[in-house]
Amino acid sequence: MSDHHPYVSKAASLLSEGRATRREFLRTVTLLGTAAATAYAMADKIIPQARAQEAQPTFKPGGEVKLGMRVDDVTKPFQVDSAQKSNIIRQTLDNLTRTGADNITRPNLVSKWDVSEDLKTWTLKLRNDVTFRSGRRFTADDVVWNLKFALDDANGSSSIGLFKSYMLNEEKAGDKKKVTLWDANAIEKVDDFTVRLNLKAPQLAVPEHLFHTALPMMDPESNGNFGVGANGTGAFEVVEFQPRNRIVYKARTNHWDRKPALETFAFYDLGDNASTAIAALASKQIDGLYEADASQVDVLSKFPGLKYYEIATSTTGVIRGKCNIKPFDDPRVRKALRLATDADAILQLSLRGRGKVGEHHHVAPVNPEYAPLPPMKRDLAEAKRLLAAAGYSSGLDLELSVPADYEYLVNMAQGVTSQWAEANIRVKLKVLPGAQYWEVWDKVPFGVTRWSHRPLAIMQLALAYRTGTPWNESSYSNPELDELLSKAEATVDIEQRRLIMKDIELLMQDDGPIVQPIWKSNYTYLRSDIGGFQMHPSGYIFGEELGLV
Amino acid sequence: MNPTVRLATRVGSALATMLVASFLVFVLLEYSSTNVSAKILGPYSSESSRQMLSEKLGLNDPLLVRYLRWIGVVVGLREDPVVTSGLIGSPVVDARYFGNFGYSQLYKKPVVEVVLPALENTALLATVAFFGIALLGMLIGIVCGAYEGSAIDRSLSLVASVAASVPEYASAVILMFVFVVTYQVLPGASNLDTTSGWSVSSQLILPAAVLIIYDFGYVARTVRTSMTNVMRSPYIKAAILKGLSFRRVVFVHALKNAMVTPFTVILLQIGWLVSGVVVTEVVFGYPGFGRVLLEASLSGDIALVEACTLISLVVVILTQVASDVGYMVLNPEMRARA
Repeated sequence: MSDHHPYVSKAASLLSEGRATRREFLRTVTLLGTAAATAYAMADKIIPQARAQEAQPTFKPGGEVKLGMRVDDVTKPFQVDSAQKSNIIRQTLDNLTRTGADNITRPNLVSKWDVSEDLKTWTLKLRNDVTFRSGRRFTADDVVWNLKFALDDANGSSSIGLFKSYMLNEEKAGDKKKVTLWDANAIEKVDDFTVRLNLKAPQLAVPEHLFHTALPMMDPESNGNFGVGANGTGAFEVVEFQPRNRIVYKARTNHWDRKPALETFAFYDLGDNASTAIAALASKQIDGLYEADASQVDVLSKFPGLKYYEIATSTTGVIRGKCNIKPFDDPRVRKALRLATDADAILQLSLRGRGKVGEHHHVAPVNPEYAPLPPMKRDLAEAKRLLAAAGYSSGLDLELSVPADYEYLVNMAQGVTSQWAEANIRVKLKVLPGAQYWEVWDKVPFGVTRWSHRPLAIMQLALAYRTGTPWNESSYSNPELDELLSKAEATVDIEQRRLIMKDIELLMQDDGPIVQPIWKSNYTYLRSDIGGFQMHPSGYIFGEELGLV
Repeated sequence: MNPTVRLATRVGSALATMLVASFLVFVLLEYSSTNVSAKILGPYSSESSRQMLSEKLGLNDPLLVRYLRWIGVVVGLREDPVVTSGLIGSPVVDARYFGNFGYSQLYKKPVVEVVLPALENTALLATVAFFGIALLGMLIGIVCGAYEGSAIDRSLSLVASVAASVPEYASAVILMFVFVVTYQVLPGASNLDTTSGWSVSSQLILPAAVLIIYDFGYVARTVRTSMTNVMRSPYIKAAILKGLSFRRVVFVHALKNAMVTPFTVILLQIGWLVSGVVVTEVVFGYPGFGRVLLEASLSGDIALVEACTLISLVVVILTQVASDVGYMVLNPEMRARA
């Protein structure tokens, strides 16, 4: 074990003593640079378990798979802000790393990474056989260009939220703030196939951040633009792209590693109408859905020739107000909204129980750093008392914006609205079509947002609640949370980190900007003769893993 | 009045109607200059940035000036200020051409490139549905009118009334359940993609059927009323008394006169088929004009809504002119006056 990071031995002890779960162990030691295969072998040695041999399905060569999914216009991959949009670019553009359906992050365009003991120097060794579709070799220069492009705030990438605490400085430029790399050498090319990230603060989740949806590796000549013929390192080439209609990919014949079994892969947009997708599946016009909703599951479960997939996730819907405007600027109002909510009832109402009860802190039971807390029970009397103390003794009148394209979010909003009425919080629902809502999701004064799964809670919290980050939709700013987050990001020790997370969770429940009653499982249906599909908790789809059996 | 003069008057009045209607559309959507800049910049953009854009695009000019400028852009006499001001960035698009309805903020391309393919698709569906509605409506109307008061008249009239009162979304789901889910003989989505093995014509059947079911009853009732009136007229009675066969009386003597009034009604269905089929297009995922109009309206894409509204107007007015002209040609009284 001499080549491993010093904490790997400690993690092994925690696993053997039962103080860390197998999944925590795997996730932590792989992040610290241990190869996934080695990590699995170590875990199996410590806790012998019959691990199902992952049978590699034998695919028929060629064929076509079409999945139903919203096909938005994506021209700027570094500004991708949804799992659907990321699926559009993912078939053509790769990330340096890849987080699998098991929440374990593995090398992808890098062959391995090494991290210093203080978690401040990350050395990325690139594979030397990666080529773009044009035939040009993928090198360290490409990595440096992409990272710098994503971290330039002129390019509007949400990657800034993830990297801000350890790679960037924020300065005032006129009446606006500007972020710059904290050091000229922060992203350093060591040789043609080695890049070093020199961090200003320790960070454990670098490999997971490198798999961020808005951080694909592009050809610098593209200048960050995407479309038909985009030159990527991925297994497919875009041959047809009609936003709101379809995107069609053809398999690359000259791929450096993984020639897909499929010849053609495509996403079809059938609109927001749930019955259209069901009918299209029935007549085999599409072969599966990116994601099914609860009402579709009831019908599709009766269809022959389809296979059901489900996975627990940290996907959720949060209800949040803008903390810089009334009445949400008062933490007592925010807490009153949480206390007036019966999360168990909302889970049944919105998801028919297909998920878990939320605890209003956006740290999911599937996140490895989750610290269990006593349930936050509904307390109407306390909610009314807090409202009165905040100066709203006669209650509140609010307007809540909800996206119509997620039925469970509309149901959730309707549910909490009727529950809040009992605490004199009168809410008018404003249900907006998805296409309209997601244009303004981070600007509405009081809205419902779907947050996709993230393997680590610290990633999620850094994106949505750290002061001043682009996706901080609630404009929440709490130095205490920022500090705790930075501390958690720098802590390798599983037990130590869980203690910090406990403080974060309590702080969110007491002061945070959100009401978060549910965790949604992801589920879908695909034709049963499609092999290789794994329901990813983030909703990510890898066309090259699919094939016809 | 001379038929040519009469026709010229009708076309002139149609053009005037279009002009007035286009002004009303413009006023409704662009009355407030800040509303326009807010739609372009997004609803939560700052007041100062909206003001800056309004000045750049000349949105603070009097309404009539802005309207004339807009018409100038549409007919290709002027450059589109939204393009020349560099607001769109890449991809570069032409600033001046005939039919320039501006740039769609939703689809991120010139409006004309969004609308034309959608119109083509809708025209295809509308053609199929139109012939279905006209043929079925006429057939039932003629039979009911010829046998007024009979059991067949009562049965078919009932069927037509029931069909016309079933909303499109309900008949769509019922047809899908029967033909797509249960018998699997037709495709459920009509996105006009043929790679799944379903031909375009097979994809047209269900949406066209929904439109036909919804509309044929209206045409049938109009034809029936007209047919009944003609069948009661003295010349028909005379023909029957002369001993001509009933079939000959109906098809040779009654039909031509009975079709004069329904002809107008049937032609006016074209306007509805182009711009009023939103529900059917959405339920079947059909990439047509109605779906574009719905998405444009929901997302507040002003340029696209303006174009769709104007195109709908043009179609309605043109079909009105055509039905007027047709009425003149078919109606002997009008011909005599001419």
